[in-house]
Amino acid sequence: MVETIVNILFSGIFHASVLFLVAAGLQLVFGVQKIFNLACGSFYALGAYLGIVFVKYFLSVGGPPVLAILPLLAAGFVLAIIGPIIERGLLRFVYDRDVHFQLLLTFALLLMIEDIIKLIWGTYPLSTQGVYLAFGILDIFGASIPVYNLIVIVASIVIAGIMAHILSNTRFGRIIRATSDNNEMAQALGININNIYVKVFTLGTVLGTIGGALVIPSTAAMSEMAVDLIVLAFAVVVIGGLGSMKGAFVGALLVGILKSVSFAVYPELEMLLIYIIVIVVLVFKPQGLFGTAT
Amino acid sequence: MLSVDSIDVFIKSSRILRNVSLKAGKGEVVCLIGRNGAGKTTTLRTIMGYLRPEKGSVSFQGEDITRKSTHEISRLGIGYAPEDSGIFPDLTTHENIEISTWTKTTEKSEEERIKLAYKVFPVLEGYKKRKGTQLSGGERKMLSIARALALDPELLILDEPFEGLAPTIVTEVARSIQDIIKMGPSIIISESNIYHVPDFTDTLYVIERGEIIFSGRPEEVAQEKGILKIIAGTA
Ligand SMILES: Nc1ncnc2c1ncn2[C@@H]1O[C@H](COP(=O)(O)OP(=O)(O)O)[C@@H](O)[C@H]1O
Ligand SMILES: [Mg+2]
Repeated sequence: MVETIVNILFSGIFHASVLFLVAAGLQLVFGVQKIFNLACGSFYALGAYLGIVFVKYFLSVGGPPVLAILPLLAAGFVLAIIGPIIERGLLRFVYDRDVHFQLLLTFALLLMIEDIIKLIWGTYPLSTQGVYLAFGILDIFGASIPVYNLIVIVASIVIAGIMAHILSNTRFGRIIRATSDNNEMAQALGININNIYVKVFTLGTVLGTIGGALVIPSTAAMSEMAVDLIVLAFAVVVIGGLGSMKGAFVGALLVGILKSVSFAVYPELEMLLIYIIVIVVLVFKPQGLFGTAT
Repeated sequence: MLSVDSIDVFIKSSRILRNVSLKAGKGEVVCLIGRNGAGKTTTLRTIMGYLRPEKGSVSFQGEDITRKSTHEISRLGIGYAPEDSGIFPDLTTHENIEISTWTKTTEKSEEERIKLAYKVFPVLEGYKKRKGTQLSGGERKMLSIARALALDPELLILDEPFEGLAPTIVTEVARSIQDIIKMGPSIIISESNIYHVPDFTDTLYVIERGEIIFSGRPEEVAQEKGILKIIAGTA
């Protein structure tokens, strides 16, 4: 019994960690740019695929599997390059457009990137062989927890801590919060918001690509993973509250654990419980647990 | 110093300003007076680069700023306190003021500029760590001016700084503005109540339905019964 609970709990927290990274990126971009970027699902998928490429190369040149976390992080960071390309090349032209147009645009981007992924990597699932279990398995109250999951959980907590520190204690973080509160006023105080938009969007992109890169040793990369993830990220954001970092954290934890509980109890209904909660939140607390947006 | 030359401004294809011109010389205090909806905020927002005139131009210290972006205009030395104060609710009083000192370096150090802002509005010093959301309307107005002052600007634009304030607070804010005048920047104040036009005003512009209908010394407008009626809304 205890063993099952521990198993469910750890698997839930593992999923929550990855989900948090992507949702944090989504929230950050929404907070500052007021764009709900559906394409963050694609950033996650790209992170996963490039992660596999980097890990395969790393292993092929004799890199030890226990250091595979390095090429994974590298893949996440290399993909930062798409941040400025998409923000400067596309989004900056649509900040004044209405929300529906922006949503459609980021959804189109999601579909396009999905096609590009199919074009490059094909439609068969890919995976990193021999990395996941290379870190060993830990026995916690009789449950077998892959050490890799713990590493990802710790990495995610560290990233959350760094983000919290940046946002509350640094000049850049205060400027981000000011711009997100009132971007017209920020400009009147001499802040070049174009500059802030590129940086924030790139940061949001990297959170997504790192999320995808970190998750991939535990599963297989598939072209639909972008859409699957955006559904979960949407649930996280609705439950936690749009634009709130705390909301991303708590929302991800809830969705991650719920997902693994329902998967253990009745796998066919894995998503149903989450949808029910999303609907309950939308009806009774539409601003989410920590949201301020109405 | 600042010169607005015959601007026409449209919002959503309706003309809001027609042929508006106004000047503020170095160290001069200009008051732009007009009823609600006359076009004061639109004029000030056009100077700040939020709106682009269809016709005419705006120049500051000899430089054409008509097409410049707001952050560039701010960095040239124009501080702006909007009508709604524009306080960042999620930031503390101190953080609100600090931001101004990061974007533009001037002869004064960051510390000096922050100190000066508190000196002009001593009340704020007691609320340093309070978030914007926890400040009263009057405190927000003060913080908004203090923050614009921390830019160390050559020109301060204050959009209805006395609006909605209790009479004692009006006196207090007016006294602070007088302290600022002694530091030398030019000031443009907009106002809808003739009784709030500060004694220290050098030049008064009256705006009505998007047009400047009078400009001159405050004593001169006191002679113009017709203009006074328009401002009061009894014409
Ligand atoms: N965003 C807007 N959309 C439509 N009309 C506007 C907008 N902003 C201002 N106006 C109109 O422009 C006119 C001038 O407004 P404003 O400059 O705010 O006046 P004031 O500051 O003198 O009260 C008003 O008639 C107002 O209705
Ligand atoms: Mg106004």
